[in-house]
Amino acid sequence: MNSLRGPKEILIASGKGGVGKTTVAASLSVFLAKKGHKIVAVDADVDAPNLSITLGGGKQKSSQKIRISRKAILDSEKCVKCGKCVEICQYGAIFQFKDETPTIMQILCEGCGACTLVCSVNAIKLKEKLTGELTVEETEYGFPLVTGKLELGEHNSGHLVTSAKKIGHIEAKNVDANLVVIDGAPGIGCPVIASISGANYVVAVTEPTPAAKRDLERLISVINHFNIPAGILINKAELSETYRRELERWIREELELPILGEIPLDYEVLNALTHMVPIIEFNPSSKAAKALLEICEKISELV
Amino acid sequence: MKMAEISKFFHEKPVSTPIVAITGGKGGTGKTSVAVNLAVALKMKRKNVMLIDVDVDGPNDALLFGMKLKDGENVEFFKPIINVEECVKCGKCAEACLENALVYVKEQIPIFFEELCSGCEACLLACSINAINRGYKILGKVYVSEVDGIKLLTGELKPTEARSPLVVMKTKEKAYETAKKEIFDIILVDTAPGVHNPVVRALQGANLVLAVTEPTPLGAHDLSRILNLVNRLRSSANVVLNRANIKGGFKDVIYNICQKFNVNIVSEIPFDEKLLKAYVGGIPVVNRFPDSPSSKSFFKLADFIIKELGVSE
Repeated sequence: MNSLRGPKEILIASGKGGVGKTTVAASLSVFLAKKGHKIVAVDADVDAPNLSITLGGGKQKSSQKIRISRKAILDSEKCVKCGKCVEICQYGAIFQFKDETPTIMQILCEGCGACTLVCSVNAIKLKEKLTGELTVEETEYGFPLVTGKLELGEHNSGHLVTSAKKIGHIEAKNVDANLVVIDGAPGIGCPVIASISGANYVVAVTEPTPAAKRDLERLISVINHFNIPAGILINKAELSETYRRELERWIREELELPILGEIPLDYEVLNALTHMVPIIEFNPSSKAAKALLEICEKISELV
Repeated sequence: MKMAEISKFFHEKPVSTPIVAITGGKGGTGKTSVAVNLAVALKMKRKNVMLIDVDVDGPNDALLFGMKLKDGENVEFFKPIINVEECVKCGKCAEACLENALVYVKEQIPIFFEELCSGCEACLLACSINAINRGYKILGKVYVSEVDGIKLLTGELKPTEARSPLVVMKTKEKAYETAKKEIFDIILVDTAPGVHNPVVRALQGANLVLAVTEPTPLGAHDLSRILNLVNRLRSSANVVLNRANIKGGFKDVIYNICQKFNVNIVSEIPFDEKLLKAYVGGIPVVNRFPDSPSSKSFFKLADFIIKELGVSE
């Protein structure tokens, strides 16, 4: 998906949750669109997809079910209760009570198929299952938004993110967009790796607390592994004055990454959120919006 | 099979110690703060507590205690090692590998992409001539530590690895092993954000679930998702409303959701500068500022847990 031609992907990521990814992604998308860029936004936090809410909710254009998960199904008529499937399952998804017919717990099944291979009477088959849903909305800011929503408890969130990005690129082609803004998931696992892979630039959001710093460190080691350029945004900058200075020093000297800017703590951010309007639109003269606008300007120059 | 029976298997665990899982849907709502302070508050009430941090993407419980983790044990999972001398290049292993971690090009030895391997051993079963040997890849680490009289188990995903659920699973196995040797009154489990499989694995075996949320539209949206998931797993949920008093908050919406799901808000933690100060300083607020408003909420929550689980003397 890495786009030498096609549109460029900007990913908003963070490691730690709740530091402000979605707030930044919403404002950045609106900023770029207002500047005359043709863009597509993608919400790749398929566990907790919140970008649509932050953008005021859009008009749904299309939606599709993604079925890339597989689950093992046991035919109890054929089963000889030998227990081989229980033994082979590495994920503890098959449970057998004494010598009864085993039970496959769908929610724990990774769909690897090892049990189907070990079953001597062919009593287990793999069945396709719903992974999640992808919707395309038209936002009131004139750009499309692709949202991935994972089926509760499902595996394969990474595959769903990849599908969401694919749809994002198709939308980009349709509207002739040169930028895709991706709101990532917290963490560093499967869905985050799927959003990092193919990105042209990562905006890593953090805050001056030890937990956010530690999670940023872990995120950056993944980003570096993929060799993708990144810049840091410090949100809620006054949470701790002393820790903030230590964080700035650490980012510059040890991570050796640029700080794109800092956003002050501002009640207006929360206010904008409850009104479901991006902060740069809700109150452009608030101190958070001003700082964010400068950062958006910087990012748009970078990409 | 009926859902109720399946959920009984699902929650089956090797220890009888009651488990409280702390989750929430949205990230950054205060799961870790609740988990750590609840652990300390319970300890102060003379309970033996084990705390399991299975937010393996970003495990920060130790950090909130101001503690550095050391001497972790590797979490190992199977990976195939193809014996090139023995391999007959039939491609059966690649066919069996549904993750496409083994790729077969005609008449060549299959190529292995380690990052895609889920360790399922299907290839091992498919190879009829035993040309695949057992290898191991490291998915992360499990740390067993002790802090303020609390047993802390931490699962940590190795950066660049994707399979968080398996690290959660192995961390809990280790925790149960430890809990069999020592006696604990309560086990607390701190989960990852979200509603995906690592969270499902973390919620497994929980007698009680605390869903930590905040009064914002995003907190509300994600709370609905996690309560739906908890319902599906047949666990009983209670809501903890963090930063309950922020002005302009979305408290009514949270109340409505709780009503809809028929769950109670068992704790409202006010926004508290002291909590933030303690958080940044790496000391649980219930230790550093036991009289602060947030600490009082944590002590009350600890009383609720003790009563609810029936673990008072």
